[in-house]
Amino acid sequence: MKDLQSVLWDWEAVIGLEVHTELTTLNTKMFCSCPIEFGAQPNTHVCPVCLGLPGALPVPNKAAIQSIVLAGLATNCEIMKRSMFYRKNYFYPDMSKNYQITQGPVAFCMHGGLNLEVSGPAAKERLHLEGTQPLGSDGFGAMSGYTTHIGITRIHMEEDAGKMIHVGGSSGRITDAEYSLVDYNRCGTPLIELVTEPDLRTPEEARLFLQKLRQIYLTLDISDCSMEEGSLRCDGNVSLRRRGSTELGTKTELKNMNSFKNLHDGLAYEICRQAEVLESGGTVRQETRHWEPGAKRTITMRVKETADDYRLFPDPDLAPYDLSDEFIQSVRDRLPELPDAKKQRFISDYGLPAADAENLSTDVELSAFFDKALRAASSKAVALAKPIANLLLNDVSAWLNASAVGSEALIMGSIAPEGIAELASLTLSGEISSKQAKEVFAAMVETGDSPLTIVEVRGLKQVNDSSEIERIVLGIISRFPEKVAEYQAGKTGLIGFFVGQAMKETSGQGNPKLINEIFTEKLQEA
Amino acid sequence: MTRSSLSSLTVAQIRQGLLNGEFSAHELAQCALAIIDQRDTQVHAFLEITDTLAYQAADRVDAMVVAGDQLPILAGVPIAFKDNMNQLGTHTTCGSRMLEQYVAPFTATCVARAIEAGGLPLGKLNMDEFAFGSSTETSAFGFTRNPWDLQRVPGGSSGGSAAAVAAGMATITLGSDTGGSIRQPASFCGVVGFKPTYGMVSRYGVVAFGSSLDQVGPFGKTVADVAEALNAITGRDPQDCTSQEHQTDFSANLDQGIKGMRIGIVPAFLEASGVESEIISATKKAYENLERLGAKLVEIELPNANAAMSAYYVIGPCEAFSNLSRFDSIRYGYCHSDAATLVEQYEQSRAHGFGPEAIRRIMLGSYLLSSGVYERYYYPAQQVRTLITEDYARAFERVESIVTPVSPRAAFKFGEIADPTAMYLSDMFTISINIAGNGGMSLPVGLGETSGLPIGVQIIGPQFKDENILRVGAALESCYDIDRLAPGFSAAGQRRGYSDSPRFAAELASDLCPAASTEGGAR
Repeated sequence: MKDLQSVLWDWEAVIGLEVHTELTTLNTKMFCSCPIEFGAQPNTHVCPVCLGLPGALPVPNKAAIQSIVLAGLATNCEIMKRSMFYRKNYFYPDMSKNYQITQGPVAFCMHGGLNLEVSGPAAKERLHLEGTQPLGSDGFGAMSGYTTHIGITRIHMEEDAGKMIHVGGSSGRITDAEYSLVDYNRCGTPLIELVTEPDLRTPEEARLFLQKLRQIYLTLDISDCSMEEGSLRCDGNVSLRRRGSTELGTKTELKNMNSFKNLHDGLAYEICRQAEVLESGGTVRQETRHWEPGAKRTITMRVKETADDYRLFPDPDLAPYDLSDEFIQSVRDRLPELPDAKKQRFISDYGLPAADAENLSTDVELSAFFDKALRAASSKAVALAKPIANLLLNDVSAWLNASAVGSEALIMGSIAPEGIAELASLTLSGEISSKQAKEVFAAMVETGDSPLTIVEVRGLKQVNDSSEIERIVLGIISRFPEKVAEYQAGKTGLIGFFVGQAMKETSGQGNPKLINEIFTEKLQEA
Repeated sequence: MTRSSLSSLTVAQIRQGLLNGEFSAHELAQCALAIIDQRDTQVHAFLEITDTLAYQAADRVDAMVVAGDQLPILAGVPIAFKDNMNQLGTHTTCGSRMLEQYVAPFTATCVARAIEAGGLPLGKLNMDEFAFGSSTETSAFGFTRNPWDLQRVPGGSSGGSAAAVAAGMATITLGSDTGGSIRQPASFCGVVGFKPTYGMVSRYGVVAFGSSLDQVGPFGKTVADVAEALNAITGRDPQDCTSQEHQTDFSANLDQGIKGMRIGIVPAFLEASGVESEIISATKKAYENLERLGAKLVEIELPNANAAMSAYYVIGPCEAFSNLSRFDSIRYGYCHSDAATLVEQYEQSRAHGFGPEAIRRIMLGSYLLSSGVYERYYYPAQQVRTLITEDYARAFERVESIVTPVSPRAAFKFGEIADPTAMYLSDMFTISINIAGNGGMSLPVGLGETSGLPIGVQIIGPQFKDENILRVGAALESCYDIDRLAPGFSAAGQRRGYSDSPRFAAELASDLCPAASTEGGAR
């Protein structure tokens, strides 16, 4: 099989995504008041409504409608003032009514879209940049990336099905199982399904789009978006066409891409597979394929000979759902600052480099913490922004990754934003070195003491007294005459050796910048 | 108290009797159950008797009487429910083999409200399977017989509900009406049956047939009884988002009369083919009575009403197909055990669990909703629905109620109508009301000239103006001296006003209720 790069030289990949998101932050299910809880004892969160018992009727959960309207507003969708719930009829044991309540041609959110910034290595997958905006240059004359618009067809509301466990048999599938168990706890959990236009052209764009969408949903706090636990699920539709062609090829639907890497790799494989089929004179079958991450391939799951007939029709138990202007406005008022706006603010208000702003803004907890630290810094916020960002993106992130506490630590207040602001201030003023800052941060986490206390107790103050440093520098120069001669003969790299000696003598507390300056000056004189 | 005298008591009389200490609610329950015990062997209206629940309810009412509390609307009234209404701990079979063993784990709102209102729940009533039918013949559990003539059907689908009242076995029963299933059996059995405006009564807990058409309503001997039952069961229910708030005292305007009221009549209905002459003459007589009462008759047109039947047999089966999908043998219901695969289990359980009429409607709905067909039938049916709704709305700009026949003929014999489409025509005058969503009531207006069987007229009101219907009904009712109990089951065994009727459903050996008056019961 050819590699992706060469396939994409000849072929254009046309990719659309369908993203299912469980609204896990809600307390109750879509049409009843059963609690939503992952991992509860099977069939303990059920009632006549979600079990589809005869005579039970659905009543829409208003909080879920708020969540989908939030999602729609955040992805620039038009919010439809009147939409309807439909029934999608098909038989399967995990579906208690044998129909799924979903939406018809008009969903709550229609015709949206997101701009996707693709930069760095990810941008290299796209060889033809028609229809995109260049991102500006990387300083060496080359384009550092591009921006492309990804249309969102719709976001609609539907209910999730239960879960089946097939017991006995070797495949874990229903066909050779001895018997199957059904857990209806998940049945009726509100799901929102976002469908994109076929605007994506590379697996990287698909990955970035899903990442961006996930960050938006996390910012909106409408779901925990766990791909592992299945609260964020993504299917891809892929087809190929010759460069320059405008007609769409036959698409396949790809499932089981339950991580960002799998989404990328699954699509990349499928693009290459389709290219091979087409280049050897074959035709792509319209089918559903399953990505096998272990074997790194896609296999046929289900061939669609005829389109499924779900007998969709408006659910007569649920009146058309009308959204008032006041309701939509009230949801708009609750819209939090989204990652893109946050990034812009970090750049324009605090002068952060784009990369730092990007990294901070796309992490909900880290960026919230950043804002808190800036508030603690009050009048010094602008000056301290960069050192605070450095601390968060390096020391704090490293600690979060290592400590396995995750971002919970930020939420639970294991580290105080005031402490980080203070630490940044100590670094900026030169009172402690960046090396000392690391030590102070470690001590903060361990003891919970403030940076000032730690610096005090441990005597960590940086030596900034130039006469004191000059004394030490002159002492070292007199002790190492050979090195001085070598330096003066042109081996200027020895400056590191001299600074190191001075740092040793000051027990690491000398200001390395100052030491460096004084050495440079004195070595020339000597 | 005699058994027959309980049978003829009205809701108001029961209340007065309780307040006067003439009898206790316990005695009422005891007596009602004894009546059922004796009479239902002939009628077979009941599928289940809930004596324990009846006595528990009676004890609560008696405690209120003793405490001197304000008695609720239906205090001590013997009531019973169509078997598509869930009542915790009782079977809810919908007249189907599919749900023969199904015991309800919750209670329908209308049932809960009737019991909270002090009613004594006697049991569950026979019906056409899943309410598919107009004769109660499609029940998997045997025919219910018309108390006026045991060789005839009681109508349907709420045949058990109508027959139970006509035979004096319950004072108030609840039924459901999707295309005429309350009004037509009420007419066949000579009792009052009321289908409220869609949204007046919660559908929560009532097993759905056609969700956009189904409405629960009461049967009773008199308009006043039915009005009290409506007071008990109507109103918004947060568990049914198609239900609506409607604050009216339905009993308030019953004696207002109809002087000067404009009442619509539909000449085209009386000219329709297949309408028997005794129906036409009974209806015309009712019109004369209305005029005598001071109403002004206004001829109206419902230009799209003739399309109602077609629209109904698209919308009804489509909704039924989907509503009945849940009966798949997986969680509850009939399960055919020797299936080898999941699909076989579905197919065999449903093939054996459902009767032929249910299967016919499921297949019809499945076809009508399939892609390519849906566009040709479901859409036009919804458009017709809008037109019919507009027809009624326009008519009600000119009149305050409309009076029409209920059914083109009186009760027919078992097996007499074998062709399903001929059976569907039983509902030709009632279906358009479900399509439009308005309320309608069947009121007995005497016996047929040729058949000697009860005949009713249908009184229709503007949406959510169901009190208009009751007011017209109460006025018209006063023109007829009719015993609402079928002759063999009436107080004196005498058929007032119908002296030529040849039919006694049964001669009762004794009218005395043995236990009631002597033992004293709960007090």
